Amino acid sequence: MLVEVVIKALFILLVAIGSFVPIITWVERKQSAIMQDRIGANRADVAGIRILGLFHPIADVIKLFAKEDVVPLGANRVMHLVAPVIAAVPAVIAYAVIPFGAVYAFGAKEISLVVADPDWGLLYIFAIGSIATYGTIMAGWSSNNNWSMLGGLRASAQMISYEVTMGLSVVGVFMVFHTLKLTDMVFAQDSTFRLLGFLDVLFGLPVPVWLDWLRLPNWGIFLQPLAFVMFLTAIMAENKRPPFDMPEGESEIVAGYHTEYSGMRFGLFFMSEFIEVVVIAGLVSTLFLGGWSIPYLSQETIIGAISSVFGIGFATGLCMILHVLTFFLKVIVMIWLQMALRWSLPRFRYDQVMDLCWKVLLPLSIANVFVTGLVMLLVQRGAA
Amino acid sequence: MPGKVVKVRRHEKLGWLERLYVPMIVKGLVVTSRHFFRNLRGFVSGKNRTDFVVQYPEERVDYPDAFRGMPVLVQLDNGQPRCVACGLCEFACPTDCISIVPGEIEGARIERYPEVFDIDMSRCMFCGLCEEACPEEAIVMSREVEIATYDRPSMIYEKQQLLVPESLLKRRLDFLRAEYDRQHAAAGGRS
Repeated sequence: MLVEVVIKALFILLVAIGSFVPIITWVERKQSAIMQDRIGANRADVAGIRILGLFHPIADVIKLFAKEDVVPLGANRVMHLVAPVIAAVPAVIAYAVIPFGAVYAFGAKEISLVVADPDWGLLYIFAIGSIATYGTIMAGWSSNNNWSMLGGLRASAQMISYEVTMGLSVVGVFMVFHTLKLTDMVFAQDSTFRLLGFLDVLFGLPVPVWLDWLRLPNWGIFLQPLAFVMFLTAIMAENKRPPFDMPEGESEIVAGYHTEYSGMRFGLFFMSEFIEVVVIAGLVSTLFLGGWSIPYLSQETIIGAISSVFGIGFATGLCMILHVLTFFLKVIVMIWLQMALRWSLPRFRYDQVMDLCWKVLLPLSIANVFVTGLVMLLVQRGAA
Repeated sequence: MPGKVVKVRRHEKLGWLERLYVPMIVKGLVVTSRHFFRNLRGFVSGKNRTDFVVQYPEERVDYPDAFRGMPVLVQLDNGQPRCVACGLCEFACPTDCISIVPGEIEGARIERYPEVFDIDMSRCMFCGLCEEACPEEAIVMSREVEIATYDRPSMIYEKQQLLVPESLLKRRLDFLRAEYDRQHAAAGGRS
């Protein structure tokens, strides 16, 4: 049991964090370059071989490790040294509850492809996300620098505000799926619903059988489209990358909370941002894009279709591989979307960030909860 | 392949679709993604890719003639500077970076020449006032800007380092003459 958990944790560390994070530092530069009609990082070479600049992440890490780790005079030494770790660790451990595959039965043995599967999976992610705020605030406060302090204050204001919206915007999703457990949410999304079914359930108009093929996957994005937009906005603001980069604010407060950091401690802040990009991609695909599920092909359909020819063991194994690949494909799409948003939108002003949160997203998310509840009530009435 | 200029008409007042914000974000994403996918396809197939990058150390931009790089001295065909060490540039220089020690050749047609002509490039701000002050077209702004060094003493350029054959500076000299002629004509032909 323990061995299994360790293997799964190592898999996630190696794939989602160990290989996605270095590669997306490269992807970020390359994608922005291609979007802006440039070429992008391509100069780092090993013995004259450049392979499209893929050596740049390695060169960056070597440079960061080789740099001096400065603690400024008058800084709170302990806090200053600990802050980057507090910022980076939550980003890594948040991945524990995100399922990257379903439950597969190999004979008597069941393998569930998630590191930890508590009933309160989503609450765990919110809790962990809030801890990451402390790292930022501590970094800003302990540096003994006015810019850092301002960055830390902005970070605390922005991240705490957006946590409220982030929590409220997904309430609709737990209401629809009746669970907080991320694995159960994905199981609920591994099916389809009739596009015109609401006519039948709400108004008693029978939908003709020949329209029954008009189905959509039971994904969060189709059931809760508004929640998808709000959640993506809030969680991107939580990650404090542009266009929500108030705490860093290159153009106004030098580098914000990490002004005084150098070497690998700066690298940790930088890395935690990129790890969070991967976590956000995983979380959004789990909540709204059906996680590991393949649209229109549920797990039973795949296993049933293949096992009749190749046997149940092979079919289950193949299904597992397909599901893991689907999940990571969705993660890649979400990472691409985040990068595209980051390089397409201009920065917000600080007051605009706060206005967007408190005056637009929060009322909308509360309204979304009410409307979802009302529709669910009507559906239950109709079904009864 | 050069890019093209697109004129965008901007509205003073935002419509409701614009104030909704999300459709406009999608519109922006469509624009950037169109560039992304077109260039990605061009990247794989090797054609039809927009690319403004000049691969700098290997490729250079040909600066226009009006460009002011570091000041240099015009070298005549006989190897001597055209400069007559009148000291006007030294006088015109706002940063005092030019220092001249004049010398004299007895019996020559042009007797005066600069024995020493130093420019401290760490102080020079490439303003071009020396060039304007020069009555002999002897000091001109070149197109050379890559003058970074590792220490201050090597920023002081001596006469031999500053001399550039006249033939290489022909474009700048022609530009200056045309420019002076134009100013002269604009002033109504009075000098």
